[in-house]
Amino acid sequence: MEHLSLASPAGIVLSLDAVLILLLALACLGSKLFDRYLTYYGLQSMLLAVAAGTAAYVEREPALWVLAGLTLVLKGVAIPEAARRLLVRRLQLKRDVVTIVGPSTSLILGAILAGFAYLVIGPQHLAQGLISASIIPISTAVILIGALAMVLRRHMVAQLLGWLIMENGVFLGGITLTASFPFIVEAGIFFDVVACFLIMLAMTTGLAESLVALSDRGRREPT
Amino acid sequence: MIALPIGAAMAPLLGTIAGLLTARARLAGMLAVAGGILCLILTATTAALVMAGRPIQSAGSLVYVDGLGSFFALTIAVVILLSSLGSLSYLAVEQRHGTLSPRRVRVYFAVFGVFATGMMGSVETANLGLLFILVEAATLASVVLVPIEGRTSGLEAGWRYVVVSSMGITMALAGTLFVFYAATGLPGSPQDHLTWAFLVRHADSLDAVSLRLGFLLAVVGYGTKVGLVPMHTWLPDAHSEAPSPASAMLSGALLNVGMYAIIRFIAIANGRFGPAYASHVLLVFGFLSVLVGALFMVRRRDFKRLFAYSSVEHMGIIAIGLGFGGLLGVYGALLHALNHSIGKCLLFLTGGSVVLAYGTRRSDHIGGVLTSLPLTGATFLIGSLAILGSPPFGLFISEFTIVRAGFAATYPALVGLFLLLLVVIFLGFFRTTSGMTLGPAEPRVTSPYVGRLERWTAHAPVLLGLGAILLLGLWVPGWLNDLLLRSVALVR
Repeated sequence: MEHLSLASPAGIVLSLDAVLILLLALACLGSKLFDRYLTYYGLQSMLLAVAAGTAAYVEREPALWVLAGLTLVLKGVAIPEAARRLLVRRLQLKRDVVTIVGPSTSLILGAILAGFAYLVIGPQHLAQGLISASIIPISTAVILIGALAMVLRRHMVAQLLGWLIMENGVFLGGITLTASFPFIVEAGIFFDVVACFLIMLAMTTGLAESLVALSDRGRREPT
Repeated sequence: MIALPIGAAMAPLLGTIAGLLTARARLAGMLAVAGGILCLILTATTAALVMAGRPIQSAGSLVYVDGLGSFFALTIAVVILLSSLGSLSYLAVEQRHGTLSPRRVRVYFAVFGVFATGMMGSVETANLGLLFILVEAATLASVVLVPIEGRTSGLEAGWRYVVVSSMGITMALAGTLFVFYAATGLPGSPQDHLTWAFLVRHADSLDAVSLRLGFLLAVVGYGTKVGLVPMHTWLPDAHSEAPSPASAMLSGALLNVGMYAIIRFIAIANGRFGPAYASHVLLVFGFLSVLVGALFMVRRRDFKRLFAYSSVEHMGIIAIGLGFGGLLGVYGALLHALNHSIGKCLLFLTGGSVVLAYGTRRSDHIGGVLTSLPLTGATFLIGSLAILGSPPFGLFISEFTIVRAGFAATYPALVGLFLLLLVVIFLGFFRTTSGMTLGPAEPRVTSPYVGRLERWTAHAPVLLGLGAILLLGLWVPGWLNDLLLRSVALVR
C-alpha cells in the first residue's frame, strides 16, 4: 500500500473515499441534530470499510477483509444503531444546543484545521504520485476535526461522537497506509475502541439517569 | 523463559477470578493479595534473570523484557501488592457500612485484576501497537473503578477521565502509526517496524519528518495519560473520586506506565535527532506541570485533590529529569518514578483510612488525626513530608540527583526556578496536611477497622511503603543501582 500510485484505479477509489470521509466529518461538525450526527458517522464508517476493502483487494490480504467486515458491521451499523436506540431515542435528544459556537463558525474552524493539516504534513515533501500524499493530510484533518467537535460541544453524546470521528481518522490513515500493520494489533485496537464505546455508553446512561444536567459546562470544581 | 513475565502479568487476574466467585470483600481481597504477592515474586525473578543475562524475548518480540522494562515492572508490582492489601481493608469497611453493594465489590475486584494485568503487560512488550492496546485496556479498566462508590460526582469524573484520555490515547495511536510509517523501506518484517527494539537499532535511517510528527503525537498522547499539563484536566477529578486504593494504583502505577511509553519514544527519537530535541519538548511539559501543580496545591480543600495535583507535579519532575538528560538526569528521573509511586501509594492508602474515619475529604473538616488515630496520623504526616522531598526519604535523593543533572546540563536558571517551585509546593502542601493531622482530637472519630485482619492489611502496606522509601533515601541497593544504570543506557 505504501507504494500504491495515486493514478491507479485503487488509488483513485481511495482518494475519493478519503475526501468523502473528510466531508462527512465536516457535515457532522456543521449539524445540530443528534440523529444526523449518527447518520453521518454511520456513513463515514461504511466508507472506511470501503477503504479497508480496497486495501484488502490491493494487498490480497485476507485479514484485512476481516477488518473491513468488522468495520462495516460494528462501526457502520451496530455502534450508530446502539447509540440511536439507547441514547438519542431513550433520552429524547433532538437538538444539540450546548455548543460554544454556532454551526457556521464551527465549519469555518473545521475548514481552517483541514488547511492546517495540509500545512503541517506538507504533502509536497512526501513522495510524489503516491497515495500517501493524499491520504495522510486527509486523515490528520479528520482527527483534528473530531477533536474540535469534542472541544466545541459540551453534550456528552456529541463528545462521544467527536471521539468516534477522531478514531475513524486514525483508522483511515492506519488501514490505507500501513496495510502491512500486524493484524493482531489492528484487531486489538478495534476491540479497545468497541470496549471504550460501551463504557462511554454506560456512563452516559448512568449520568442521565442520575438526573444531572447533561452538560458539564455548569460544573464547578470542588476546591 | 517467557513464561515468567507472562505469569507475572497474569498473576493479578487471581483478583478477577475472586471477584467473579465471591462478593465478600475480605475473601476476594485475600485472593487479590495472593495475586499481588505472586506477581511481585515472578517480576523479581524476571528482573534477576534479565540482570544476569540478556533481555527475555519471544519470537516477534511480542513479549520482551529488558532492564528498563523490568525496572518499571518492579515498581508496578510493588504498587499492585500494596494497593491490593489496602483494597482488602478499605472494601471490607465500605461493604460493612453499606457504601458498596455486593455487586460493586465483585466489579471492583474483577476490574482491579484486569487493570493490574494491563499495566504489567504494557511494560513487558516491545511492540508499540501491543503497548498501545494494553495501556488502553488498563485505562478502560481503571475508568470503571472511578465511579464505583456511586456518587454523581464520581460518574462525572469518570466521564471526564474517559473522554480526555481516549482523546489523548487516540493521538498516541496516530503517533504510533507515524513512527511505523517512518520505518517504511527498512529491512525486516512489518512486525519489526512496530518493535521499538528494532526501531532504536535502525533509528538513524528512519524518515525524519514522520518520526518528528510521530514523536510529538506520542508525547502528547501518552502525556495525557501521565497528566502532563495542559493535558492533565482529568487527573484531579479521577484520582480524588476513585476509592483510595484505586487512587493509589492510578497515581502510583498507571502514571508511570504512561511515562514508560514516553521514554521508549524518547529512545527512538534520541537515536535519530540526538538528545537535544526530545529534551526541549520534555522540559517545556515538565516545567508547565510543576508550575500548575504548585499553583493548584495552594489552599486546596479536598486533600485527595491535593494529592492528585502533587502527582501532576511529580510527573513534571520526572519529565524535567528526562529533559536535563545525561546519566544523572535519566537516573534521577527513573529513581524518582520508583520513589514517587511508593510514596504516593502509601499516602493515598493512609488517606483512605482518614476518609473512612472522618467520612469526608475536606481538609477543613478534618483535624487532630494524630491524636484520634495515632498510627494513621503519624504515617500521614511522615508520608507527606516524604512526598515533599524532605530528607532522609528517597524522594529527596532523586530530586537532588535531578537538580545536579540540571547543573551538569548547564541550566542554572531553570534549576533556580525548579527549586523555587518546590518551596512553594512544600508550603502549600504541608500547610494542609499539617492542619489536618495536628490540633485537638475529634471525640467522635474512631478507627474504622474491625478485627485483626482489617487492621493489619490497612496499616501493613503503609508501613512497608514508608520503610521502603526511607531505605531508598539512605541507601540504593547494588542490584537496583545496576538495574537503573542498565535502564539509563537504553534511553541515552
